[in-house]
Amino acid sequence: MPRILLVEDNEMNRDMLSRRLQRRGYEVLIAVDGQLGVEMAQAELPDLILMDMSLPTIDGWEATRALKAAAATKDIPVIALTAHAMSTDRDKAIEAGCDDYDTKPIELSRLLGKMETLLGQSGGSAGPTQ
Amino acid sequence: MSELPKPIEERIQHFLPRNLLHDLRTPLGHILGYSELLIEQMQESGHEEFIPHLEKIRKAGRELVVMMSENFKSK
Repeated sequence: MPRILLVEDNEMNRDMLSRRLQRRGYEVLIAVDGQLGVEMAQAELPDLILMDMSLPTIDGWEATRALKAAAATKDIPVIALTAHAMSTDRDKAIEAGCDDYDTKPIELSRLLGKMETLLGQSGGSAGPTQ
Repeated sequence: MSELPKPIEERIQHFLPRNLLHDLRTPLGHILGYSELLIEQMQESGHEEFIPHLEKIRKAGRELVVMMSENFKSK
């Protein structure tokens, strides 16, 4: 069962996305801000991180840069999630080290496709075992 | 709104704060996400009678997403 770290400060987004992923067989860990996201990623070494970019303490770009600079977490795929839909936001996320990018409102099938691609590339199972 | 002449569309984009689009997308995401979650749950629990209503909520939400995407394209 792939372990996903969801770093998201919005309570409804956390609740909704974690429940939908759990229903598809993913184990979902939760962090409510950027600093906790980095700490939890270092402690739990999840298979993939879904990173909101507008976060308290440190934002998603800084958190991603920290994760990609650390040997233990640099290979964990990070998908940036943001409600900003400008092309510069995507470029900014990729520059910070994010492996992919998706916009809110989340279209789950699209996001699952990106997750499965990255999980496959990183050597994990491409999707959850149901 | 997709039929707006370009100069007006450009003026609207100029005056819309960037954060407004972000702020609109967040509750829209809640409407879409929870309606889709409920559709899944109703399908599983056999409460098919609620699904058409939930589909209407989801459809309306998706139309708003398309409207926003088409009229406020990424620069």
